[in-house]
Amino acid sequence: MDIKTAEKFMEKLVKAGKEFGFEECEAAFASENSMSIDILNGEVSSYENSATSSLSFRGLKNGQMGYCSSNILEESSIDFLLRSAMENCEVLNDEDPQFIYCDENNKNLYFSQVTDAYSKNTYKSFSELGLNLEKAILALDSRIDAVDFLTVACSTGPYLIINSKGLHSYRDSDGISIVASARATDEDGSVKSGDHYWIGKDIDNFDIDAFLAKFGEKLLGKMGAKSCKSDNYSVVFKAEAFQQFFMAFFSNFMATPMQRGLSLLADREGETIASSVFTLKEEPMYEKALTKIPFDDEGVLTTAKAIIDKGVFATALYNLKSANKAGRPSSGNGFRGGSNVGELPTNLIVEPGDYTFEGLLEEAGNGIILSDLSGLHAGVNAISGDFSLLCEGYLIENGKKGRPVEQITVAGNFYDVIKSIKSVGNDIINVPSGEGEFFTPSVLVSSLAISGDEE
Amino acid sequence: MFNDSDCLRILEQAMSTTADFAEIFQEVTESKSVSLLNGQVIRAATGFDSGTGIRLLAGTNSVYVYSSDNDIEVLLKLAKEAASAIKGADKGSIEALKALCSTSKATVEIDPMSVSKTDMVDFLRKSSDYALSYDPLITQAASSIACTKRSARVINTRGVNSEDTTKRIRLSIETIATKDNEKQSGRVAPGTMKGYEFINDYPVIDKTRECCDTAIRMVNAGYAPSAKMPVILGNAFGGVIFHEACGHALEATAVGIRNSYFTDMLGQQIASSIVSARDNATIDGEWGSYATDDEGNTSSDLLLIENGILKNYLVDELGSRRMNCAPTGCSRRQNYSYAPTSRMSNTYICNGESDPKDIIANTEYGLYATQMGGGSVDTSTGDFNFAVNEAFIIRDGKIAEPVRGATLIGKGQEILKNIDMVGNDLELSAGVCGSVSGGVPVTVGQPTIRVSSILVGGRE
Repeated sequence: MDIKTAEKFMEKLVKAGKEFGFEECEAAFASENSMSIDILNGEVSSYENSATSSLSFRGLKNGQMGYCSSNILEESSIDFLLRSAMENCEVLNDEDPQFIYCDENNKNLYFSQVTDAYSKNTYKSFSELGLNLEKAILALDSRIDAVDFLTVACSTGPYLIINSKGLHSYRDSDGISIVASARATDEDGSVKSGDHYWIGKDIDNFDIDAFLAKFGEKLLGKMGAKSCKSDNYSVVFKAEAFQQFFMAFFSNFMATPMQRGLSLLADREGETIASSVFTLKEEPMYEKALTKIPFDDEGVLTTAKAIIDKGVFATALYNLKSANKAGRPSSGNGFRGGSNVGELPTNLIVEPGDYTFEGLLEEAGNGIILSDLSGLHAGVNAISGDFSLLCEGYLIENGKKGRPVEQITVAGNFYDVIKSIKSVGNDIINVPSGEGEFFTPSVLVSSLAISGDEE
Repeated sequence: MFNDSDCLRILEQAMSTTADFAEIFQEVTESKSVSLLNGQVIRAATGFDSGTGIRLLAGTNSVYVYSSDNDIEVLLKLAKEAASAIKGADKGSIEALKALCSTSKATVEIDPMSVSKTDMVDFLRKSSDYALSYDPLITQAASSIACTKRSARVINTRGVNSEDTTKRIRLSIETIATKDNEKQSGRVAPGTMKGYEFINDYPVIDKTRECCDTAIRMVNAGYAPSAKMPVILGNAFGGVIFHEACGHALEATAVGIRNSYFTDMLGQQIASSIVSARDNATIDGEWGSYATDDEGNTSSDLLLIENGILKNYLVDELGSRRMNCAPTGCSRRQNYSYAPTSRMSNTYICNGESDPKDIIANTEYGLYATQMGGGSVDTSTGDFNFAVNEAFIIRDGKIAEPVRGATLIGKGQEILKNIDMVGNDLELSAGVCGSVSGGVPVTVGQPTIRVSSILVGGRE
């Protein structure tokens, strides 16, 4: 579905929505073109190419917002969309007012960030890169048995929002990802697996040597891993592990869960909730981010802000509805996580500290580096902050990286962890997260319970 | 849905180069849902999604193209692109299309899609009204009903022409207890392919009370210990252990590329001799069932493990080519935007001979996990983890104090051998399994079992 056809359909739908009896209404269209190739055993084992689109309609009637979605943008769908959304309005009894929005000064926003580099993403360029990468991973070390998973993928697509108040805004994005996972057999016959990823906008910027160096470090570093003694340890979260860990609890920083009593951060803006060395910012238009986000899914301009400023909880993330309830303006974080508009972050940045990664280890003295966490979808209680997770990493011995460890768990409470951050590194990585990316260095936490089965 | 001549045009285009097999998957899904929070209807949604996927195979080389645009010209263009990307040796043939075979595994009295959202809200309100007046510690009550109707048609170059329709309902009830700065929840989330009569007959008050009791117990509980110890896993959702630690490692997705610790182990002892297990997609009305899989094969009741001996893998078409064996009717996908692959359906450890009471009485010290959360596994290393939502310490053969905050970890290939007691109280429980072909409805299940030793990752 091309954007011009979608635009015409949306204009007709919004006009019909008003005539149908909605006080205000809105249509949002998203489409995606994607391509990916998988490499296995020296061949392109799989190739995928796709074009998908979806339309979400929402209409306001008697203070209730009814939603309906469809991917059929034909005349015959208009009646289905309007009737279903109205039926949903009639069932709802949400006490909090909702809004269709239009800022007269920013109602025709247009932001395109797809570059000419996207045209380099072809079957040929991806398969050549993928095959070379597989060969190079296998050549890293004779203990590597197979590259089980290697995908080179790209996607691009527009987002268009049109409403009955006159909003007509467009943004788009594109990106490339390379993900590889391999297994290696240790001297004792035990199997270790490791993976690494790269994200970017221009395939020519992929640095295979840098990728291989990290890949080798992550996989081969695990050789000889075994469990360790149960105890409380100083813990250095490697940057990737810290990103995974932090995001498992991020819903607590969103206003809607707070207002529903599902976050212990409710009514605590202005309070110290984290260590004074910890600052977390949101920068929707962050210069280094692959995806910049000028406006949210409700048409509200996004803004740069500190979420945690030197340990102080500066602001939660708000959409139009939760902001109104809190008596303040939206923070531009109204995004469609599922069918309804909730809150999501754009680009998040943990402000780097003065420590190199090695400096963090010296600061820790003795402890554990956590490099991989598993089971984040199940082993955390996002509301209470409690967690118990399978992890892998390394011992820290006399300020240096020691032997690898596996088959251990780390347990504690999120709120205690962010209060006990002792030092922040400067080894920043970026990982896709929320609507954008999460930029974070490694961090040192004073003490966490580690369970292992070594005597 | 396309007519036969349109299908043939797409297949001809797809087979115009060197594919030896081509398949069209066309899907239409309707959905409706309502959600309540503390008695307020905060969400009511309706959705319609349709699309088409075209898959080409040449040996083990695969190409998958898909679109949400069902226009024949768009799909012919995609089929042409796919044909140019496939890497085979020779041009394959197209067999004559058989007559359409329509199937459905559901025996439905009341079509869930015909039930009004108002009726659903009235049902859910019974739960929230009860929960919020149950105990002052209960501060939130959330509930939802989600219904889907999915029609999936498969047409391929072997003449397969099938259409499977499934109607599923998922009910979720969650209550939260608050004490000081602590919040803990109790949750049930049954799923079914029976009609809306399942909801009408559901003991909503009893189940809401159980959720409240769990939440209150857990908010008052201390932390789980951290040590290796015997662990008794309660029936029903306790089966997530088998799903994670064994089921995924038996899928051709892993075995076919030798990325599983159970590769080449058919006929070998992989579990304790008191363990037998099945993957049965044919159970009437069960959440994970289907009549025809997403490659057009009839679903099956597959014996995976018999008395500890590995009997079968879960094999799809691509896996069958890698493993040189027949598909087992287990190929599934979330929707048309995923190529299908081998997946579980209703997967469970079969009943054993022990009375669950005897399992507890025979345990001097250990953990009794009565409610499990989800988990995950790395099929190459065997490392698995799963979360415990509600647990008790067993002391001197008796259930003692409740504990919370534990994750159980271990190696999949070891834990199955350490099952030393299997109960006779098998039950199934609904979930959604996420893997390479997306999220699919599955049930996990087991009777109460005991594992002689698992590392419990607690905080004490």
